[in-house]
Amino acid sequence: MRGINLLTEFSLKAGEKIDPTKIKIDDTTLRDGEQTAGVVFANDEKIHIAKMLDRIGVHQIEAGIPTMGGDEKEAIKAITSLNLNCSILGWNRAVVSDIDDSIECGVDAVAISISASDIHIEQKLRKSREWVLESIRTAVDYAKKYNLYVSVNAEDASRADMEFLLQFARTAKDVGADRLRYCDTLGILDPFETFLRVRTIIEIVGIDIEMHTHNDFGMAIANAIAGIKAGATYVNTTINGLGERAGNASFEEFVMALKYLEGIDLGIDTTLFREISEYVAVASGRYIPTWKPIVGGNLFVYESEIRASSVYKNPLTFELFGPEDVGLERKIIIGKSSGPKTLMIKLKQLGYEISEEQAEELIDVIREKALSLKRALFDSEIIDTYNMFFKKDKSKNNNK
Amino acid sequence: MAIKTDEKRNINIIDTTLRNGEQAAGVVFSKHEKIRIAKMLDEIGVPEIEIGTPSLSYLEREIIKEIVKSNLKCKLFTYCEAFPENIGYAVECGIKNVVINISISDIHIKEKYNKTRTWVMGQLRDTISEAKSKGLNFIVSAEDATRTDLEFILKVLHLAQKKEAFRFRICDTVSKLDPFRTFLLINTILSTTEFPIEVYNHNDFGMATANAMAAIRAGAVSLVTSVNAIGEGTGNAALEEIVMALKYLENIDLGIDTSKFRELSEYVSKASARAIPVWKAIVGTNVFAHESGIHADGVLKNPKNYEVFDPGEVGLTRQIVVGKHSGSHTILHKFKEFGIDLTIGEANDLLAMARAMAVDLKRPLFEKELMYIYKEYNEKKKIDDLE
Repeated sequence: MRGINLLTEFSLKAGEKIDPTKIKIDDTTLRDGEQTAGVVFANDEKIHIAKMLDRIGVHQIEAGIPTMGGDEKEAIKAITSLNLNCSILGWNRAVVSDIDDSIECGVDAVAISISASDIHIEQKLRKSREWVLESIRTAVDYAKKYNLYVSVNAEDASRADMEFLLQFARTAKDVGADRLRYCDTLGILDPFETFLRVRTIIEIVGIDIEMHTHNDFGMAIANAIAGIKAGATYVNTTINGLGERAGNASFEEFVMALKYLEGIDLGIDTTLFREISEYVAVASGRYIPTWKPIVGGNLFVYESEIRASSVYKNPLTFELFGPEDVGLERKIIIGKSSGPKTLMIKLKQLGYEISEEQAEELIDVIREKALSLKRALFDSEIIDTYNMFFKKDKSKNNNK
Repeated sequence: MAIKTDEKRNINIIDTTLRNGEQAAGVVFSKHEKIRIAKMLDEIGVPEIEIGTPSLSYLEREIIKEIVKSNLKCKLFTYCEAFPENIGYAVECGIKNVVINISISDIHIKEKYNKTRTWVMGQLRDTISEAKSKGLNFIVSAEDATRTDLEFILKVLHLAQKKEAFRFRICDTVSKLDPFRTFLLINTILSTTEFPIEVYNHNDFGMATANAMAAIRAGAVSLVTSVNAIGEGTGNAALEEIVMALKYLENIDLGIDTSKFRELSEYVSKASARAIPVWKAIVGTNVFAHESGIHADGVLKNPKNYEVFDPGEVGLTRQIVVGKHSGSHTILHKFKEFGIDLTIGEANDLLAMARAMAVDLKRPLFEKELMYIYKEYNEKKKIDDLE
């Protein structure tokens, strides 16, 4: 049964140590990120994002689509002339004139993209498999004459017939492509399927693989990780997971998942995560949800009793990494799910000391208030409630 | 072997929007909203829901009582930490099923309870006895199980099994697992014992849904979800993602009415004051918006080129957006919608104008703006023709 084979594969792989220096990030915020319906970056923003990606330690930046011309071309030229440490890649169809535009922009790497699935070949391109292979040969051959690093992108690889996908990969390798980008264009793979398909290509064809995953079923990160486990060495990410439809594999989630779940530290400066996320959020006009993994504003904000009181005793009870690791802060808010211990910690932070018994009483008043306001309380409201409560308490005592 | 990919499987969903969802920092549902959400979950066919934590407060109990009285078809659960005195609160609410939760990792036992494993076992035993004496069904929920050694997980599970728990819940409280480790863990547990396993995921590394699906592959029978993935920290596995992933990636159709997903998501979004990101998987409004030339052209030729399921299936509609990345086919199509047949030459000219305008405005164009461009273009052409 399929499951048994999978299990054996995973168990075998689990023991293998992956060399962190072999894993590279190719960030496509500026290409697939901008291709998102409704998102347009200004050229200045593109340049700023490229600089930040370079500073943070990304290995390659997919800077755009040179053949679109106009502003797009200008932005790419401006980025290549920055002389960043990372490689700059231009996106192309498998068309010689596209590659000419890339060359004109001064990129050192090109992605040559063409569909690998029959549905795309027949319905979108309205061509044949042979035509696809021939287009790869012509385009890669041309790019290689200019000494460019070449990634051949197998679009819709997940719906491609495996035998043809292998032929596709072999063709790319034979004409000198440096890597194959496995595009899960519709986001329909699960991690197990990903592992098997990527592993098969690597074992049979033996070419470097880059993972390009989409989040339509919420599995972009898991599939990217599965690709790495299967032997892929590049991952195509975007800041905040920006990208068409439900987006791509988020850069910050991928880097942290590799570091904290797989023990692979890419040496990326994660403390800049929040800053770069905020910048891209503003430039793309897409806010960062407060609950967004890794960089959401609420991730280290605690309200419920158990979490809050435990984390302030020992952060490791509920955190695998600290807020300082990603440029955030830890904070307590008091609301409906808070309890006396949380309240005591909060009041202490605000400069007030109360006993456990007092906290037990006060928390009931506060929960009721939160429910009627339908939100957590502001610090000033907590202090007000505290003052009112103890004034009453005092007058009660005086009456006795 | 636990995987049964060839058989038709019954998978259960227990939704915790009203319990762990509301525990999200800053989120408070009103009584009316809680009842409405419970009804909506029931209507679309979610089989089980967690509706709150009775020990929390008098007000919470009043709301729970109301929901219990609404005669819903789905099975209702409340949540409690494993202290025998908590059972009384559930009974007071008229609840028949409870989730009894206890942390089982060493770090939680030490820092959260300041106790020992022996205490944990005793506490669980006592709480279960109390629940059983009151005639309640119960799930045993092992918090932070994914940072616990297998031996102790199995010990707690065996207690649950011996006491006839309904199910055993494995909580990945700090998102410690990836799909492969989820698979191995669940698979290993199920190779030692046959007992219904439920999995509870968090999304700290963006893998809640993938981990949940991996658990199903390994033989788990139940998943804990929440609408819009709302929950503490990064949230849980999203109901809408799990249902669609089961259907389209695993061929398991739960019979849930997915066409109400957008409506349900919108309601929870309003009640929790958390906007649905336009790119939210399954229910985001942009999930079926296509702008780039290649994608829009592909979708216009055949939606299956870039869509796995039809937008109507989740209560959304498809949109073709004209912006910086559009191609001439999109322009042809858009104007055809307006009743104008363009030549390829005209479409190319208009495309250049539309792209320039989109870059300048830093956004895609409204349909009206496309018509302005068209008017401008025709006027210019007329003048050119005259000259």
